[in-house]
Amino acid sequence: MTELDIISRTRSEVLSHRELTGENIFLAWGYPTAFFLLLEFLALELWNEDWCAWLWAGIPVVGIPLMIYFLNEDYERTHRRTLDQNVILVMWIFIGFASFIGGLSMGIADVFSQFYCMFQGLLIGMGCFMTGIILHFRPKTVCGIIASVLSVVPLFLQGDCWPWQLLVTAVITVIALIIPGHLFRKYVRNYEPV
Amino acid sequence: MSPFKFPVINPLLHNELRLKIMVVLDSLESADFMYLCQITDSTRGSVSSQITTLKDAGYLDVTKTGMGRISHTVCRITTKGREGLRTYEDGLRRIFSQEIPSPQQSDSCAYRSK
Repeated sequence: MTELDIISRTRSEVLSHRELTGENIFLAWGYPTAFFLLLEFLALELWNEDWCAWLWAGIPVVGIPLMIYFLNEDYERTHRRTLDQNVILVMWIFIGFASFIGGLSMGIADVFSQFYCMFQGLLIGMGCFMTGIILHFRPKTVCGIIASVLSVVPLFLQGDCWPWQLLVTAVITVIALIIPGHLFRKYVRNYEPV
Repeated sequence: MSPFKFPVINPLLHNELRLKIMVVLDSLESADFMYLCQITDSTRGSVSSQITTLKDAGYLDVTKTGMGRISHTVCRITTKGREGLRTYEDGLRRIFSQEIPSPQQSDSCAYRSK
């Protein structure tokens, strides 16, 4: 066997035994995001105080440890990370940071109630769409498009009814992260590497 | 006819196990030690020594972390390693694709026949 045969055989062996992973990451972000947005909405409706508007900061506090736990679990199971998985991971870390920094800046600049929900909905929708494209998983792509379109709805809920933006963003989270997350989880469980 | 020039083949990659490790890591973002042993179908000792050789040459980036009582070794290919593998593969392709001239056709032989 020549060296060129070794190269082509090893390469095809690595690529053909590719297992799908990351089925829990979207749920690990989806459920805390939907939960904290609903909590913030209820708190604002009940008390309507300034501190209630900062409850969204609980999302990364719960989401990041959950994500690290599931990533370690995936690595222990497959013992490797593919280039696609790395692109998706880096993209979602970037989206998470952008969402956090954006929320913080908007809170300080006192425009949180106007733009934050649209901003977060659009980021989640775009992330979901691009993940679907990379993974060739159509439900994610479709859900990402729907979520991105719905992200403009909060712009029309201004003034006193702004807490309803949070409810719309929670619905966007369900569409972009929770529903495709469960579909992807089911797909991964039934997926058999070639 | 221009004389055939053999491309320089990197001796570091001209070892079956080292070549397999490099190709596996070139196809992935990272892989741990256990996966490399499994996919190359080699023993821990031989994989470990080849990883050390490749790491010393700057072809691999090796990170060791403690996961419970067992240490966890994660390997990544470096840019230098990726370039080295590309050059090696290109060199081999050039050797196999070009027709090596017979002694009668080569310039040196033509000189001798004079």
